[in-house]
Amino acid sequence: MATVTQKSKLSNVLWPALAWIVAIIFFFPIFWLVFTSFKTDADAVKPEFLFRFTPTLENYTNMTQNYDYWKFATNSVITSTFATLFALIVGVPAAYAMAFDPSRHTKDILMWMLSTKMLPAAAVLYPMTFLTKNFLGIFDTHFLVILVLCLINLPIVIWMLFTYFKEIPKEIIEAGKMDGVTTWGEIKDILIPLAWGGIASTALLTFIFCWNEAYWTVRLTTIDAATLSKLIEGNRAPEGLFFGRLSAVSTAAIAPIVVLGWFCQKQLVAGLTFGAVK
Amino acid sequence: MSNRLLPRLLQTPAVLLLLVWMLVPLSMTLYFSFIRYVLNSLRKPEWTTPSISNWRGFGNYEYVLNAKDFWFAIQNSVFIVSFILVLTVVLGLGIAVLVNRSFPGRGIVRVLLISPFFVMPAVNAVLWINMILDPVLGLNGLAVGGINALVDGLRDFPILGSFFSLWPEFEPISFRATQTSSYAVIMMVAWQWTPFAVLIFMTSLQSEDESTKEAATLDGASAWSQFINLTVPHLGRPIAIVIMIQSIFHLSLYAEIEIVSRGNGNKNLPYLIGEFTSNNIGAASATGIFAVILANIIAIFLLRMVGKTLMD
Repeated sequence: MATVTQKSKLSNVLWPALAWIVAIIFFFPIFWLVFTSFKTDADAVKPEFLFRFTPTLENYTNMTQNYDYWKFATNSVITSTFATLFALIVGVPAAYAMAFDPSRHTKDILMWMLSTKMLPAAAVLYPMTFLTKNFLGIFDTHFLVILVLCLINLPIVIWMLFTYFKEIPKEIIEAGKMDGVTTWGEIKDILIPLAWGGIASTALLTFIFCWNEAYWTVRLTTIDAATLSKLIEGNRAPEGLFFGRLSAVSTAAIAPIVVLGWFCQKQLVAGLTFGAVK
Repeated sequence: MSNRLLPRLLQTPAVLLLLVWMLVPLSMTLYFSFIRYVLNSLRKPEWTTPSISNWRGFGNYEYVLNAKDFWFAIQNSVFIVSFILVLTVVLGLGIAVLVNRSFPGRGIVRVLLISPFFVMPAVNAVLWINMILDPVLGLNGLAVGGINALVDGLRDFPILGSFFSLWPEFEPISFRATQTSSYAVIMMVAWQWTPFAVLIFMTSLQSEDESTKEAATLDGASAWSQFINLTVPHLGRPIAIVIMIQSIFHLSLYAEIEIVSRGNGNKNLPYLIGEFTSNNIGAASATGIFAVILANIIAIFLLRMVGKTLMD
């Protein structure tokens, strides 16, 4: 018995310590980015100033002149918000119908939707550029970015919502039907309040994917609708130049999402199952 | 009949949007893949318009199949995705089990662990390749320099010194080089997506039946055999889902490959298509069709795996 308690005492220290070490290793690159953003460009590449240096806010105060950060940030906020919103507006009714009135084809439709997500974006890059530039004239507009972000995330939105809605007992919805509630009323007054947690974490994940998207947002924009992904990809420094200011603008680019993620991590942990938990 | 109509109506916008999004550009790609179509040509200006008179049959496909990077790009696409999948699933499982028990500061540990998932790919790549992996200015170079300085210092010691004088100077690895750039990409993407695997595994670990585990403990089952016999089978579904979602995202990796080495030694199919797109649209489209075929093969496999468990 004594050995058991000793062993468990040891493992009570060992495992948490290991968890802390792993967590610190995983977080270190982000820490290092933020840390470097307080060094001047010259200090950032000198080993002798690795840890001892005079911190400066210069990189942040000059960020607007150096990179026009706010314009790109505004575009990111606008496009991610509206794309998430539209994906939910289209996705909620579809997932509702699939979860509560499934037909023989529902599974196939879901699988097909997911398979559209698998189509390599690069395969249709030129047609998309051609169509939007020469034909529709919507290249480099917020509208286009919102539309594309909404479409590429729609399959995952519907899938996530479907798995949440399926957890809701059918009887509750049926009861509403008996009482003569309209479909819109069912969605608004019964479904959305019941599945609020699932809808919120779907919205959160979609917003993260939209904010971080780096293929279409870079290739379907030039200036007007360009997002933070484009700003960073376009301004990545040649080796060693401008580490300080690049770190600052990168920190500013990821900060809104990382902080949002921190605040909502409980929600994400509870909600991100994709139907994996029964 | 009427109560079947409404659910269909509710799905129609989503289905129509995705159908148009899939079919319109894809049929254009298919058409372009059968014609000669380049953006700039001084000798043959007629090739710069996508006209049916430039019909080339399977010529673009033949050209692509013989292009020197094509097979390499396919292999490399599969290599990168598989390597990332193995890393993230193994690390994710380990970390999820590690943080599943309660201990002081667990909330903070979780926040720290999840953070990389929120970092945008462009920042991820810029940060890793410049500030961490750079052989001169990054931590990679500084760490190797530090080790060399330490070994140098130890050489002056009596007895031990003769041992250390046999040690060679270490060279930091350059991760922009042809042979290593794919490992840089694998490292940074695995860093970003391990937290995603942890998130999914953590959620389903919490739903694991504790009473079974307690019974197993009473029966004298070791922690390891509990993990293998109870936890891993319980995680079959979440593992399938992690593999599926990550495959979707990593088959189209682009920003990281572009930023690390501009595809030098590390092209995947999307990157190869991107290179063709700068001029030869016909070849780009043919490569695109090959990429669609590859994606479909993988999709059928993955969707079977996940689809089986989706509806019940």
